[in-house]
Amino acid sequence: MSTVSGLGRRMLRTLFTATALATLLAGAASAWGAEDTLAAIKARGVLKWGADAEGGAPFVFPDPQQPEKLIGFETELAVTLAAKLGVKAEMVQNQWDQLTPALLRGNFDLILNGLELTPENQQRIAMSRPYFVYAQQIVTRKETAGLTRLEDLKDKAVGVLSSSVAQRLAEEAGIAGLKIYPGNVESFRDLKALRIEAVVLDLPIAIHYAKPDATLKLAGPAFAPGYYAIGVRKGDAALLAALNQAIEQLAADQTLQRIYEKYGVWDERQSGLKDFQAEVVEQKAAISTLREWPKYLPLLLRGALTTVELSVLAMALAVVAGLGLALARLFGVAPLRWLATAYIEVIRGTPLLIQLFLIYYGLPEVGIRLNAFAAAVLGLGLNYAANEAENYRAGIQAIPHGQMEAALALGLNRWQALRHVVLPQALRLVIPPVTNDFIALFKDSSIVSVITMVELTKVYGMLAMSTYDYIGLGVMTAGIYFALSYPASIFASRLEKKLGHDCR
Amino acid sequence: MIAVERLVKSYRATRVLHGIDHAQARGETVVLIGPSGCGKSTFLRCLNQLEIADSGRITIGDITVEGGHAPRTREERERQGQLRRRAGMVFQQFNLFPHLTVLQNVTAGPTIVKGANRAEAEATARELLAKVGLADKAGAHPGQLSGGQQQRVAIARALAMQPEVMLFDEPTSALDPELRDEVLGVMRRLAEEGMTMIVVTHEMQFARDVADRVVFFDRGLVAEAGTPEQIFLAPQNERTREFLRKTSTR
Repeated sequence: MSTVSGLGRRMLRTLFTATALATLLAGAASAWGAEDTLAAIKARGVLKWGADAEGGAPFVFPDPQQPEKLIGFETELAVTLAAKLGVKAEMVQNQWDQLTPALLRGNFDLILNGLELTPENQQRIAMSRPYFVYAQQIVTRKETAGLTRLEDLKDKAVGVLSSSVAQRLAEEAGIAGLKIYPGNVESFRDLKALRIEAVVLDLPIAIHYAKPDATLKLAGPAFAPGYYAIGVRKGDAALLAALNQAIEQLAADQTLQRIYEKYGVWDERQSGLKDFQAEVVEQKAAISTLREWPKYLPLLLRGALTTVELSVLAMALAVVAGLGLALARLFGVAPLRWLATAYIEVIRGTPLLIQLFLIYYGLPEVGIRLNAFAAAVLGLGLNYAANEAENYRAGIQAIPHGQMEAALALGLNRWQALRHVVLPQALRLVIPPVTNDFIALFKDSSIVSVITMVELTKVYGMLAMSTYDYIGLGVMTAGIYFALSYPASIFASRLEKKLGHDCR
Repeated sequence: MIAVERLVKSYRATRVLHGIDHAQARGETVVLIGPSGCGKSTFLRCLNQLEIADSGRITIGDITVEGGHAPRTREERERQGQLRRRAGMVFQQFNLFPHLTVLQNVTAGPTIVKGANRAEAEATARELLAKVGLADKAGAHPGQLSGGQQQRVAIARALAMQPEVMLFDEPTSALDPELRDEVLGVMRRLAEEGMTMIVVTHEMQFARDVADRVVFFDRGLVAEAGTPEQIFLAPQNERTREFLRKTSTR
């Protein structure tokens, strides 16, 4: 009796575990898409759509009158589509060039944000029928003449949005001075700051940003038309079908026209939306960058070279400027001491990103125009100088006061005592923290991609975007970073041991 | 040789020196004794300007510095430097420069301050190291030496500047008893060679044997001064007697 019931209990438990596991798996599967995304949307009553509102006009952007509210023709389209599905729309903010990986991760249900209907995009995700016909537009400064076609830009400095169609076209056209921006606004700033000669971008953005600006103009006719479409995870067939049906209706009943006219982006081309016929896209085999490393590694190494140049120069600046700051803070006369203290505290208390933006985009407004490399070295160097100053200060203060007294008693003046007695000892003490800072700076240097520097991390991002092999490229990139920073830390610990020995 | 007039020094609200007068001839060795906190070390530190007196006047050789404020003009700084160069200082904690070799410690003053020729400075330094019995340690770092050896290097370092006066601030207090004699021996020879010295110490035997004059400091004033015989055998001041009674029981 007891054995039977024991067996029964065990079976029950096994059954229960299996059911729980199956439920869990089913839940996971629904979160990851399959045909259940449409059901999930309806169940939760909310359609989550991914887009980037930063510099996102006229697509998705904060209402200037009510900044907490989003407007834009895609915002209205999302709301309209959600209504067709009987749910509410909820925008999920995501950096534009990372929308596809974020969709695949399951951060939202679909991408509705100027995503071009291209075979490349359709390798990883499924795309709906188009909701908008865009074209490329060249924008220049008002006074610029003769730059009206892509061919005219060959030997010019030209700005494009990262991983946009414009980038691809510009690369195919062999434009030498291509500069790649993470957002739409920054390229116009650089255009006005004379850092670049032209921007190539989607027409709606040009209409919104450049047309009202008296110093800029749309140069030449729009070219290379294409479609914007909604991206969903592959396998979300039910959702895709529902979206296609809804878009077709909105095109037919002129809802699209009404929305687009409101934002000034309706043109003749849009009437073609009604008669769109999908083409079958050939699926290519997934790229393994590890297997094809001879093709990708040199590109990464070229980025790594920039990273090294940048880090070494920035650290050299930081080490020298930091020493000056520390001495000014410790021994300077009153106003100098205050200035050094204020500098150190302000720099340490504000984000590096903001400092870089100020140097790169802010300084041109007062007439100081640095190229991206100089701005990056200056930004990183001046930021780390504040940290190094504090390292030096701690090192100097750790030297017993008796050392300074003994030097003074010998007849050395304060400066001689510092230079010959205190600093040589303090410098030995600060070698470990300064080396650690160098390794940190080396890795922090990836942040300068925000001011258009193409260094190792940026190269990784660009290659990952085109190959979708985040893992293979990630392994290679991390390997390069490690191969460069590990010797530095070995070198530092050797040096530290050697100097420490001399000291005793 | 040394003349100190009405030297007053306070640390914030606490007055440490209440107007010290002191005169000392060339070649004389004076030992300062007294309970801790009586101001003997502060007095020494004022002499070579590690502390700036509130008021009073300090003369060493041909240089006179007035108290009141730290040097402000180039000329005042120059005068302070001159005074310091005339007075060599030996500290309780040796304060050798740990990143330099013994030889470099001794040549640092002449080469940096006087711009002396390196070869000449090294030759002089080796002589001085031989004099303090450390000729074989020239290439060592201070960390490799015993306390007694370090203090002897410190004496050589001070002597390398050819001072007119040597100031010793409790030079053996940080040393184990068995290491004190080697330092005291060096000091004794210096005194015999005619160096002008002021020594702050608790070594009463040294004071008895070497001092030309013993000065008893008490609460920031010179309470009593005289030959070692006068002070140790027939102290006049009640505080002196009490102090000597206490130290002799150690």
